[in-house]
Amino acid sequence: MRYGMRDVTETGLYPISHIPHPTSVHAVFNTEGCILMKNVWEAAVALATGFATTFKHLFRKPITEEYPEYKRVLPERARAVIILTRDPDGGERCVACYLCSAACPVSCISMQSAEREDGRRYASWFRINFARCIYCGLCEEACPTSAIQLTPYFETCERDILKLVYEKEDLLVDHGGKDKEYNFYRYAGVVTEVGDKGTHIKEGKPVNIKSNMP
Amino acid sequence: MPKLVIDEREIEVPEGTKVIEAAEQLGIMIPRFCYHPALGSVGACRVCAVKFLEGPFKGVQMSCMIDAKDDMVVSTTDEEAVEFRKYVIEWLMLHHPHDCPVCDEGGHCLLQDMTVSGGHGVRRYLGLKRTYRDQYLGPLVQHEMNRCIHCYRCTRFYQEFAGYFDLGVMQIANHTYFGRFKDGILESPFTGNLSDICPTGVYTDKPSRFFGRRWDYQRSPSLCINCSLGCHITASARYREVVRQEARYSEAVNGYFICDRGRHGFHYAKSETRPGKALVDGREVTTEEGIRAAREKLAELMSRIESDGVACLGSARSSLENQAMLKQLCQKMGWQDPSYFVDESLAKKVKTAVTRLEPELTVSLRDLEGSDAIIVVGADPINEAPMLALAMRQAQRKGGKIVVLDPRPISLPCDYTHLPVKLDEINLYLGALIKAAVDPEAITDAEKDVARFYREAPMLEIFVDSLQKKASSLAQELRASQRVVIVCGTQVVRETTVVLAGDCVSLLRAAKKQAGLFYLLPQANAFGASLLTNKEFSFLNTLEGMENGSIKGLILVENDPFYSFHHRQRLDLAIEKLDLLIVLDYLESPAVRKAHVFLPTSTLYETGGIYINQEGRAQAATKTYLGGISIAQISGGNHPPRIYGSEIPGGEARAAFQFLDQIGDGGSDEDETASRQNPLRWLSANLPALAKIPPFGELTEAGMLINSSDEGTGQFSLDWKEEKDKGDMTGDLLEVILTDLTFGTEELSSFSPPLRKLERKPCLFMQVNDAAKMGLSSEDRVRIKLDEGDVEVDVRLEENMAPGVVILPRHRLLEWQKVKRLPKFVRFEEIEKVSD
Amino acid sequence: MNWILGFIILIAKLGVVLVGLLLLAAYLVLLERKFLGRLQIRYGPNRAGKFGLLQPFADTIKMLTKEDTVPAEADRVLFLLAPAVVASEALLIFAVVPFGATITLWGKKVPMVITDLNVGLLYVFALASLGVYGVALGGWASNSKYSLIGGIRGAAQMISYELSLGLSLVPIVMLARSFSLVDIVRAQADYPFILVQPVSFMIFLISAVAETKRIPFDLPEAENELGAGYHTEYSGMRFGLFFLGEYVNLQVLGALVTVFFLGGWRGPLLPPVVWFLIKVLAVAVLMIWVRGTLPRLRYDQLMHLGWKFLVPVALLNIVATGAFLLI
Repeated sequence: MRYGMRDVTETGLYPISHIPHPTSVHAVFNTEGCILMKNVWEAAVALATGFATTFKHLFRKPITEEYPEYKRVLPERARAVIILTRDPDGGERCVACYLCSAACPVSCISMQSAEREDGRRYASWFRINFARCIYCGLCEEACPTSAIQLTPYFETCERDILKLVYEKEDLLVDHGGKDKEYNFYRYAGVVTEVGDKGTHIKEGKPVNIKSNMP
Repeated sequence: MPKLVIDEREIEVPEGTKVIEAAEQLGIMIPRFCYHPALGSVGACRVCAVKFLEGPFKGVQMSCMIDAKDDMVVSTTDEEAVEFRKYVIEWLMLHHPHDCPVCDEGGHCLLQDMTVSGGHGVRRYLGLKRTYRDQYLGPLVQHEMNRCIHCYRCTRFYQEFAGYFDLGVMQIANHTYFGRFKDGILESPFTGNLSDICPTGVYTDKPSRFFGRRWDYQRSPSLCINCSLGCHITASARYREVVRQEARYSEAVNGYFICDRGRHGFHYAKSETRPGKALVDGREVTTEEGIRAAREKLAELMSRIESDGVACLGSARSSLENQAMLKQLCQKMGWQDPSYFVDESLAKKVKTAVTRLEPELTVSLRDLEGSDAIIVVGADPINEAPMLALAMRQAQRKGGKIVVLDPRPISLPCDYTHLPVKLDEINLYLGALIKAAVDPEAITDAEKDVARFYREAPMLEIFVDSLQKKASSLAQELRASQRVVIVCGTQVVRETTVVLAGDCVSLLRAAKKQAGLFYLLPQANAFGASLLTNKEFSFLNTLEGMENGSIKGLILVENDPFYSFHHRQRLDLAIEKLDLLIVLDYLESPAVRKAHVFLPTSTLYETGGIYINQEGRAQAATKTYLGGISIAQISGGNHPPRIYGSEIPGGEARAAFQFLDQIGDGGSDEDETASRQNPLRWLSANLPALAKIPPFGELTEAGMLINSSDEGTGQFSLDWKEEKDKGDMTGDLLEVILTDLTFGTEELSSFSPPLRKLERKPCLFMQVNDAAKMGLSSEDRVRIKLDEGDVEVDVRLEENMAPGVVILPRHRLLEWQKVKRLPKFVRFEEIEKVSD
Repeated sequence: MNWILGFIILIAKLGVVLVGLLLLAAYLVLLERKFLGRLQIRYGPNRAGKFGLLQPFADTIKMLTKEDTVPAEADRVLFLLAPAVVASEALLIFAVVPFGATITLWGKKVPMVITDLNVGLLYVFALASLGVYGVALGGWASNSKYSLIGGIRGAAQMISYELSLGLSLVPIVMLARSFSLVDIVRAQADYPFILVQPVSFMIFLISAVAETKRIPFDLPEAENELGAGYHTEYSGMRFGLFFLGEYVNLQVLGALVTVFFLGGWRGPLLPPVVWFLIKVLAVAVLMIWVRGTLPRLRYDQLMHLGWKFLVPVALLNIVATGAFLLI
């Protein structure tokens, strides 16, 4: 339908910017004008097409997938329950950098960062309130260590809403999720048990500040 | 006044303004790393490049290195400049360790901001990254050299600005390293500023390491109450506890920096020992029950005794609201006026200081930096108010002369002349010095009493031979100086010294110098306390009343006399005799344990408040968080309990003024904001000096200068002859001077775990010659006989201190409260060596 | 004795009609949801009972047990009254609708209408006008911007379309020469009026849809702009009453179309009441089909259609019918 371009129709279907010219009202009563007949015909056809379409739908098989009886296999990147993954060396990937909680539009993530004896930063507690989560995936996008990931699993209904508040032990899994390879501490130049200064990927030996050699 | 155009907008700036500053005045923030308003420009980082289109310079130049000149046309957005900055950023990021997620600077990192705004995303350089080993720099600063971009801000602050030299730059070229020669605790008491000024995460705040991100903090403009200077700080709280404090810029007071005591002195507010519940006879009750018990017990007591049988002790660390509310309560109930200082002599000295601070004499910390001569009398800046030392260093860097008249082993981060003299002699020496500094010609037309004061003042000859030469050359320099400031302490000096300091300034002004007066007061709101102090009532009177049974009830408001009163035994006995002891406080103390009724008050962070600093500047601190027990304390490191409800767990503390209000008027249940108006309204109605105090929240950033000087009274009343007689009265006695340490003495900051790691052990400072007489060496441990028992400490020998005195710092770990009277003198035999 | 029997019969009729109306309203909801579902290639409710047949009961229980909230700033009395006005107005219209031929029970003639008013048509219009109150008051009393806008739209729309609604029936009255609905049905003994008055039928149908605020004329409750329009603030059974009113209105609409244009209960083979039901349901299904097909009109389009198209056409139709009758 060249909707915006018609200057008048018999049913008054014109854009609001086109205040009808008085003559267009007369056109309705202008029984001699073939424009009117043409427009009425067009409208009738348009209406009939619509009714025909919906009528045909009546005899089509519904496309509804009836959920509990039939469970569709969701794509790997479907966004539902959030997990905290581990790096290939088995360490917790989460460094409690607060980027996910900052990115979260509904503030459902909270945590406390702490330092392990070897200097590794980790979350002493980590909490996601799934009653509030909107599964937007912004936390996963914000995560610099691939720790927080969304999984396709979504069947978490509870009668008690407090059971939807997940603590770190509920979230932590023993695999790397979608990213099997990455270990943040192999790249970042901080000292942990993963690596000393100068042993990380693409690092030179530490500078000897007591030597005059270039 | 050059007029230039930056990004098509015209601005006129004073001569000598850098282009980067001019742009900032227009609201254009040119990227910067090495430039800092307090440290100046060095042109090291190259990131403030802009393009000069017209004028004396052309092309891409560093905006921090070029003074604004007439006819300059500058573009910050020119393609060439933008590209230049982009390459600089990429180059600075070559060796960056990419550890932002585990870096505490992340979230308020200048390098992060510049990288993102510069558009640098992917590292193109394929070579290896340079790495450094980090150093242990003490409990306050964490070192992570890999993140360094070599802007030199740290060394410029540490060495040039603050005057300490144990942290600096080493190596050259690509190996340039900022740190100490070897691991160790940084010596400066201003180290926390390193984490403030470092544009990236090389120096981060260690006590709050890994606690959270800047964006999650509840941040509010607050004040430091760990000394009387009233530095501006930004307090950050998260999960119901104060986490970090940072310096907040203040034009008149602290500038851009604060000391470590102020930065880390907040831990008292989240101390595990902080009493959070009301106690009645040692039993925990609700706050309402506590207030009711206090009222009932007071009513019962007052039905038995005269109305002056109840005394109150306020505090110089309380906000003005609390102090005023206490006085208001006393007047309402017909009790005697409250005292605010435990030490009667200190109260008098502060009163003198407050009445002497005439508006034209008052100098701010910032003004002090501009003076060309500073005479420090009986004050130990580094130990009593560290930021004062920093300001004095700035004056000295600009060519100012610093003279210190003090018996203690003063050490300052700048060039200074120390004249170690006994407390009794300070007046004479100061008089002599000032007399010599005044040109006789200049005061020929002075008023009569000024002339007499000048005439009778002692001559330089009174200095002992060893100091004679020093003093006379000093006097010459002082005579040449125009802007002299006398900095006078109030802690250790005699009462007359405080008067004399004011007189000397008046004399200098009579001699047509722009002299200024700067008093150091004992606590954050000593000025306010002194305004409210009625001279007729002192804590000593109260104590006597308690002993002879005329005072049966005592209310302590945020004051713990057990901490500060010099005679513990006497205080204990007097308190025993009381029928009713009501204590309002936020610190754990013996007084809290002895109280019949204890009410938990809120801290500065939970309520805010008005504090008047030592120059009479009323400043307001705002509320940082709502109070309550911190989540970390409740959960013990594990995940927090799921408590649901609108109540704040453990949030039973209220402002002291609210409690006092409720005790006074039968428990009207006004909220904090309404209740706060009562004392402020009362103040403006009853105290002429504070008549114009605005409602809370309307005090400006610069505060309001309070003038309560009492012009003319008692000026030039010092009798020099009497002073001279007193001068050599002490004979073969040693005076025990009880004094402060930077860390470990001040009541609030001594609760701070990181600062406790920096405290030195309790010790006794002795002059080398005095020690030699007794055969003591610096390794020795001695026992000093005080009136009520002995004190055992290590001896430290110092050369630059007055003979005839021993310095005993009041350390929180030292039970020094065994002195019957102050000043306290001991005989040589009363100090004996302890053999181990 | 006679009047006692008459009274009992009246009460019985009232009971049967009321229960029938309410039950039918409940199942119309289900019908609409199922039918609409199929129009949109889905199943519609199928969880409560076989084919979702218990859905109306589930809905009723849900609405009865939900909290009945009244906004703090609402005009309480009007707020509580408005839904009752809507529901009772819809129910009352049915009093004059004949739903079957007169039958004889125990020797007594029982007309299959609750009351045969000789001004039945005027009664219908009078009550239909009252429906405006429910919408306008509900919208006003809620003290909420969405409700208010919905209420104002509702009032304007219903008043506008009442005009064409009334005018469209003038030819029917002219043909039947009576205001009584029973007489109008009787007048269609030979042929239903739809055959001689198609224009009138179309205008009535369109105006009636607009009166019942159904798609494409559901501007007063336009979900995507007004939340739920005039009943945004309602919850529980008070919302239920609005809902009930809407579906009773749907039946009333079906009944009126049947009476005015489709020959009422007349029909071969089957009993009159069944024919009546079939016709009413057919109209209802048509309405649902319209809902499943047409989009909502814009407000100006709505007004344009009513005032500039339907009213003039209805007037012309009256003139034409008058002329025809004269000739």
